[in-house]
Amino acid sequence: MKLLTHNLLSSHVRGVGPRGFPLRLEATEVRVIPVEFNPDFVARMIPKVEWAALLEAADHLRLAEVPKGPTQGYEQDETFLRKMHHVLLEVEVVEGTLQCPESGRVFPITRGIPNMLLNEEETQT
Amino acid sequence: MSDVQEATNQLLHVNLHENQRYIHVTESVPRSESEHLRVTIGATVPTGFEQVAADEVREKLRSSCKISKDRGKIYFDISVESLAQVHRLRSVDNLFVVVQELKDFQFKETKEKVLKDFEELAGKLPWSDPLKVWKINTSFKKKKTKRKKLNQNLSKEKIDNGGDKGDERDVKKELSNNALDSHILDYYEKPAIKEEISTLVGDILASCKNENDESSKEDTEPEVLKFRVTCNRAGEKHCFSSNEAARDFGGAVQDYFKWKADMTNFDVEVLLNIHDNEVIVGIALTEESLHRRNITHFGPTTLRSTLAYGMLRLCAPQPSDIIVDPMCGTGAIPIEGATEWSNCFHIAGDNNPLAVNRAANNISSLLTKSQIKEGKLSWGLPIDAIQWDICNLPLRTGSVDIIVTDMPFGKRMGSKKRNWNLYPACLWEMSRICKPGTGRAALLTQDKKCFTKALSGMEHVWRKVHTVWVNIGGLHAAVYLLNRTPQAFVHPSGQDKEELLSAKND
Repeated sequence: MKLLTHNLLSSHVRGVGPRGFPLRLEATEVRVIPVEFNPDFVARMIPKVEWAALLEAADHLRLAEVPKGPTQGYEQDETFLRKMHHVLLEVEVVEGTLQCPESGRVFPITRGIPNMLLNEEETQT
Repeated sequence: MSDVQEATNQLLHVNLHENQRYIHVTESVPRSESEHLRVTIGATVPTGFEQVAADEVREKLRSSCKISKDRGKIYFDISVESLAQVHRLRSVDNLFVVVQELKDFQFKETKEKVLKDFEELAGKLPWSDPLKVWKINTSFKKKKTKRKKLNQNLSKEKIDNGGDKGDERDVKKELSNNALDSHILDYYEKPAIKEEISTLVGDILASCKNENDESSKEDTEPEVLKFRVTCNRAGEKHCFSSNEAARDFGGAVQDYFKWKADMTNFDVEVLLNIHDNEVIVGIALTEESLHRRNITHFGPTTLRSTLAYGMLRLCAPQPSDIIVDPMCGTGAIPIEGATEWSNCFHIAGDNNPLAVNRAANNISSLLTKSQIKEGKLSWGLPIDAIQWDICNLPLRTGSVDIIVTDMPFGKRMGSKKRNWNLYPACLWEMSRICKPGTGRAALLTQDKKCFTKALSGMEHVWRKVHTVWVNIGGLHAAVYLLNRTPQAFVHPSGQDKEELLSAKND
């Protein structure tokens, strides 16, 4: 699971609503897999990123050199874009967990795939 | 300008033209002649997606298309230099070069006379240019075969070392302990589905066996070509069958070229396509996938990659769009997406653990293919897989730009009764995650009645823009293109949602 995906995920435990974001990320196995750098893609992604969530996740993975926010004129700043590219697309959580900040419910990540299924009771109205 | 100057100009003008003409003549010397050949190519596409395919042709080949009345076919002109690019088109299933198009074929009254006409036709057709194209195409395919053979060993290693088999055994053990529906387990184990998955993942990994056969023929230049005739006939007023036409036309072709007829191991496949009064003779440039034939026999399962491509293209993905398939099955759509629109981010999700694992494996295998192709080591793609429930997606509201999915038909998977509850819940949840105003969805389903009912009453969030009628292995299905309205999603309380959803079932 990449950090860009983590940025889109939110807990759907009943009653939690928007307080289910962001999921707290812990990892026991992380892999770095290079992905082709597309500066246009990264530049357009920046406005869509939820920064606080990204920084928190990156922090939990103990990633270095993570920009704290978009810099002035970031669209042309290749260094900045490459760092963001790395953080968003190249860091893969292979084994770990995602925890709902509101309910405490834990979702496992196995072989890079988060299992977000809830039980019957957790989804019933 | 003085008279002299004007005369000089005219003279220069004339000389220039003559030079150009001279150059043109030297260009048409046999060696380079075939490269400047222009031919008409026919392509078969998923029925209903002719326009989408035509758009792709215009974009990638800069050629305009003629869409045939014979559904599922488009025609366009190219110069032979573009042949490689033609093979890279993602919306076409099969390609052929047109020998001749006979627009208004006058069928005689008796079968004997019609078949005689077909026999006589064989000798009158302009075969030479199309055959040149066929030859270029064959040598081009042989080059691909050589490269693939080299890579075969590489990729085979990867399959053996990869944790594929191990993972599946673990997952299956888990599942059998949890009394999951056994028919779902069996579904993904069906050989036909496994085969189809391999085609998705790429020729390199799948058609190793075929390549072995081809390459053994490669070295010895065959003296006598082997051929077959395939006839497709559609129309009510014909007094003959496609087999009869193929047989008699084939007989004449054999006499004319002195080729050897062979139905299975052929070099040249001659196509005789008859649609009402239109007869088109062509030579195949691609092989009809044997996988496809098996799949049709078992019933449609994994979505054809050409259809997946067509559905994605309908949504006009923009750079950095987030594209989600919330019921991805084995991942046909997101995989096609990650390959063709690598400037977007793709998410494949499904509730079935076997499906998600398959999708993840297919993604890994894709990585292997691009590794080999570009000589890059272990490069990843902008795609992720998640296990989730479509009715309760763990995605932020309004975070997704495009949703493309193949909804349960009720005949292959699930049931019609289940669709009545599933469809409204799906559309609801999809409207939540989809970005208001700019978001869109392309949804494939055979249960058109259920879908239409579920959609009505959701006009405040979904607006139907276009419907494409498609044929999936004999089933009449539809792809609905929806635009997400600008209205923001309102989270109702649990009770309201239940009421709203059940009201739609009345």
